Amino acid sequence: MFYRQAGIRHTSYEQTKSLYPIAFDKWLLIILLLIAVTAPYWMSGLYLNSYMLPWIIWSTAALSLNLLMGFAGQIHLGYGAVMAIGAYASVHAAQAGVPFEFALILGGVTAMLIGVGFGFTALRVKGLYLAISTLAVQYLVDWVVSHVPAIGGGTQATLQTPTPSILSFDITTEVGRYYIAFAWCVFVTIFLLNVKRTGLGRALIAVREKDYAASVIGVNSYHYKLVAFAVSSFFGGVTGAILAFTYFGAVTPEQYSIDVSIQILAMVVVGGLGSILGSFFGAGFILLAPIFLSNIVTGLAESYDFGVSRGVISHIPLILYGGLIMGFLLFEPLGLAKIYDNVRKYLLVWPFGFSRR
Amino acid sequence: MLKKRLVTLGSAALLALSSNVIAAKDPIKFGLTLDYTKAYVFATPSFGQAMEDYVKYINMKGGVDGHPIELLNSDHGNEPQRGIEAYERKKREGAIAFEHLSTPVSKAVLPKANKDKTVMFQMLTGRADAADGNVFPYIFPVSPTYWAMAANMIQYIADNAKDIKDTKVAFTYLDYPFGQEPIPIFKALSEKLGFKLKLFPIALPGTDQSGVWSSIRRFKPDHVISWSFAQLHNIAMTEMKRNRIPVDKYMSVVWMSKNDLKSMGYENAKGVKRVEGVVTGTDNALIQDILKTLYDAGKGSGPRENVGLLYYMAAFTEAVTVVEGMRLGLEKFGAPLTSEKLKKGLESLKGFDANGLMAPITITASDHQGGGKTRIAEWDGSKWVPKSEWQSAYSDLIWKVIKEHSAKYASDTK
Repeated sequence: MFYRQAGIRHTSYEQTKSLYPIAFDKWLLIILLLIAVTAPYWMSGLYLNSYMLPWIIWSTAALSLNLLMGFAGQIHLGYGAVMAIGAYASVHAAQAGVPFEFALILGGVTAMLIGVGFGFTALRVKGLYLAISTLAVQYLVDWVVSHVPAIGGGTQATLQTPTPSILSFDITTEVGRYYIAFAWCVFVTIFLLNVKRTGLGRALIAVREKDYAASVIGVNSYHYKLVAFAVSSFFGGVTGAILAFTYFGAVTPEQYSIDVSIQILAMVVVGGLGSILGSFFGAGFILLAPIFLSNIVTGLAESYDFGVSRGVISHIPLILYGGLIMGFLLFEPLGLAKIYDNVRKYLLVWPFGFSRR
Repeated sequence: MLKKRLVTLGSAALLALSSNVIAAKDPIKFGLTLDYTKAYVFATPSFGQAMEDYVKYINMKGGVDGHPIELLNSDHGNEPQRGIEAYERKKREGAIAFEHLSTPVSKAVLPKANKDKTVMFQMLTGRADAADGNVFPYIFPVSPTYWAMAANMIQYIADNAKDIKDTKVAFTYLDYPFGQEPIPIFKALSEKLGFKLKLFPIALPGTDQSGVWSSIRRFKPDHVISWSFAQLHNIAMTEMKRNRIPVDKYMSVVWMSKNDLKSMGYENAKGVKRVEGVVTGTDNALIQDILKTLYDAGKGSGPRENVGLLYYMAAFTEAVTVVEGMRLGLEKFGAPLTSEKLKKGLESLKGFDANGLMAPITITASDHQGGGKTRIAEWDGSKWVPKSEWQSAYSDLIWKVIKEHSAKYASDTK
């Protein structure tokens, strides 16, 4: 019934290699896409701007980091800084009169150049050492932003973003900004879906599994790590710029602080390393769960008097949130995407599950 | 929610029976989204408590012109995206004004509030140039900016120095935007008055200040102005003792409360100074009334000890100012109160001193700061003793800087 495989016969290699050989998956995706595309027409402004838009942008950020962490296996603790570089570069470019589309690309390229520059030095080390040296990116960028007025914007430490425009049409509405973010998200998603099927993707996965084993079979691991850093930084930079232009309307150092880096890292880990669906789940969970939990607990506290101060009440969602993260990871260490995968695998053979045993 | 509303209705009904006060009309909703869980935890609980106390008090008295005030209270954890969510949600629930008590959240919400024409207060947080009402018509700092405080501190030093040209001032600050903000003012004044200024940045998170203080010792300053907050003052003053710098040279920005001196011992902090924008302590008649009507009846919104401390008083004074703005708005333009009317109401505040809790402020359409008057107070071992009158120094310089920044904002967002 679900995920029906009856009648699917591969008669060519193209069919075998297709992204969604099972029709059910394809339809599920099309329905989800339709929901997202039509969201501005049936979703209230509150949900569109406060949940949907940030969710899409953070998912894109998680996807971009997933390329580096999930595919190439290189940990990055300063991804917020990469996004900051993109955001600051593109806002400065746009303020100087560069058209919005080019400003975005310029932001991405700047982030890529700095990201690769760090890659050269950072990639001489591995694992935990790499984690610490990427953490340095975060602190260096934070320091530069708050100490160079030409970049950070002086004493107020805030830069306002100019109105984004596509092909010289100003995008002034919230719906328009949603579509910009959505288009970028779709592009990154399609890119990542296809990377898995290319030589680049296979090389990255080989590097992830064991870099010297990859070298033995002729994959230049250093080269591919740098490529992963470059592509991921480019995507991160553009996503940072999109975040500034479509969501915040301003750039400040706090929007790309170490907290944000850790959150994006958590999105990737909780969602599932190397999983595209997982990035969406992870972003949704890490970003929106605190908001929902806080609203639920505050609502309850208003209806029933708990007899404790508001400070204590405000901490209850945090406890629940931490518990949920641990609970999910204990339940399925491979992340939220794996939970979905388990359900899907079960349904693939349902109701003949016994045939597998 | 329901219970709260019932309580408000009930108390209003009781009052109506007893003293012919008009029955409850539509509530005025105020969005109070604070950071109860992350960076501002040192101040938020008292801050929220004061707001809740005053709103309870006003509602018990029959509300603002018969309209009860409803606080829409929640936590945003100092995260901009959660602040935006809370803002959007509460705006739809009918909030006409907001306070966030968080610079990151204020900065993220500010462009939206300015565009949506929703009144946003930013007591001691957010963009200082929001004092310019022409560029930020709906943003109300209604408190002295950090720039004004910096100028007033220098004025105090100049007033008490034999010769300002021989005076050495060390400025120590947390090395991020909050601490860096007043530097241009200090530099400009140092050039103008001729005192010697040296900067001593403290790396975040500020828990290790030993290197900084030994260089301050070598500088031999007459005054040390400090831009940090809460427990970090303790660390600073411990280092001062270690370096044999008398603590009475220490002069703090507004974020220093009696509670912050507790762990170093009240006696040991004798002589330390701070700049203050509001009166602290419980001597004020209004505060006495709050203690009597709420706390003696067991209806206070938090621990009684908080009443009268700095963070409580800052929020309380803001609440009194906001309610006065609401009253003026209702009086002039009638119900229902909207953001637009509240803005106009606030802009007609003239010489308002919140029942003696602060220096009189006058808000106009172009000045949302209200005068920027502060005073210096000294800790005598048990309480803060005012050392100067309420004053605002070098207003022309402050306004020049405010205009420069707001003009940049205006041209960037065009």
